[in-house]
Amino acid sequence: MINRRRFMASTVLAALWSSLPSMGRAAAAPVVAKTPWHNWSGYLSANPLGRIAPHNEDELVSALRSTSGAIRPVGAGHSFSPLVPTDGHLIVLDNLSGLVSHDADKMTAELFAGTRLSDAGRLLNSVGQGMFNLPDIDRQTLAGAVSTSTHGTGRALKSLSGYVTSLRLVTPAGDVLDLDADNDSDLFDAARVSLGCLGIITRIGFKNRAPFKLRSRTWVEKTEAVIDQWEALAIQWQHFEIMPLLHSDYSFIIAHQETDAPISPLLEEDDNGELLALFDVTPVAMRGALINLLAADIEPNEGVDTSFKALTNLRFDRFNEMEYSLLAAKGPECLMEILQTIKDQGIDVSIPLEYRVIAEDDAWLSMFYNGPRVSISLHRLAQYDYSPLFDAIEPIFWKYGGRPHWGKVHSLGYAQLRSLYPKLDAFITLQKELDPQGRMLNPHLRQILGR
Amino acid sequence: MTEATAEIYATAFRQAAVTTAVQQKWTRSCALCHVNGEGGAPRMGDVEAWAERRKGGDAILMKRTLEGFNRMPALGYCMDCEIDDFAAMINMMAGQP
Repeated sequence: MINRRRFMASTVLAALWSSLPSMGRAAAAPVVAKTPWHNWSGYLSANPLGRIAPHNEDELVSALRSTSGAIRPVGAGHSFSPLVPTDGHLIVLDNLSGLVSHDADKMTAELFAGTRLSDAGRLLNSVGQGMFNLPDIDRQTLAGAVSTSTHGTGRALKSLSGYVTSLRLVTPAGDVLDLDADNDSDLFDAARVSLGCLGIITRIGFKNRAPFKLRSRTWVEKTEAVIDQWEALAIQWQHFEIMPLLHSDYSFIIAHQETDAPISPLLEEDDNGELLALFDVTPVAMRGALINLLAADIEPNEGVDTSFKALTNLRFDRFNEMEYSLLAAKGPECLMEILQTIKDQGIDVSIPLEYRVIAEDDAWLSMFYNGPRVSISLHRLAQYDYSPLFDAIEPIFWKYGGRPHWGKVHSLGYAQLRSLYPKLDAFITLQKELDPQGRMLNPHLRQILGR
Repeated sequence: MTEATAEIYATAFRQAAVTTAVQQKWTRSCALCHVNGEGGAPRMGDVEAWAERRKGGDAILMKRTLEGFNRMPALGYCMDCEIDDFAAMINMMAGQP
């Protein structure tokens, strides 16, 4: 279930390159020929007119001013909602990557927005800093993750957008805006979670902390028992989440707590992967009984690692995902209704749910604006149609007042979203000011913003 | 896949050139899995493993690269890679630069 396999050392890469024949440097033409685009899961697609991959902000400004028509930024393509698809130009941020600067006294650091989360941890660690929290998957770019309020779990820990202290936004007109809480605070609060439709974010400043290690523990326990103890467990463990095993009475628990103990990474958990594969091929009517029978045999696992290694994983099995965030008080009832619905309807899905907790932040379109929430995530392997699962469960989220994750599958439009996000209209006003021609909109964003 | 598309892909493989830009793109995306064989990915330089993948034809391999296949993510995490880049990277990893 959890694979912690790591990218090889850069020294090995350097050796690989030295073994290749000498090759000339590519021409620096940023606009390149037409190639189809797909998101990570392969479910979303587009045929963009071209890709623009600027190597610096001047190139980006020049490209924005010299092109017309639709533009959409893309990070790692990890969103499951159609935020990216465009028949205009894709703006790819991969060349805007790395650490810009850091302030050891304030414990802040500015990174280029195309930096992958997987690289940010190492870069920050090298200057004596670490991010407070990270999401499960770390291949996203900082811009993509922040712009959709991507989050990890932890009762006292905010989503990534909650730790942003500054950002640089290049508007569709090519104007460069440096924003922070003291410099156009409204736009700063809007831009932190802006779905890539206010402009192109090129740099992001983060409030960080000293690097730290985490003791990780995984175990299996009855879902109802964990939910009953949720508050105590979420206080006891700095990062705490449960993954209810569908059709069964049990959940897989993942918890992390800060420690000074020496590093001893979790054992590779291929056994859990094999178990999941077994559950997947077991007829749905028998699956719950099988899991209930085997759950007690799943051994707890413990380890200690650097925070950015302990919290993140490479996910090899591609899937599509739906996630809503709810007020904490409504979480348990909503979760139990979802589990019961999947059981009652015999929906054939084996990837566990994910139930996490996130602290409040003040970015206008953050799912966690104005109060802490719990999030419930549903996953469906990419080779299967997700509709039977998501169509059955999404109305349950609505019933409990859930806010959809911007980067994950949902079917809401402006009429519903404006009652869930109190600052949505204020955001739209700013969006119209910065992008009067709607260059940064696609059909999905027009549905969200009602324009 | 239309014959015209298949021909575009085949031409890309014939004309592929491993430039510095291609190397940079490979390093920040494909290398994640194709150096250590993560998720069952064929390793860089494993000629036999790549020959097995190419049995079905280069056009199919390109289609799977673009759209994703099994554990291979669509576009292999390279959002600014073009068809020519992918062809060059596959040739390079397959030991056929």
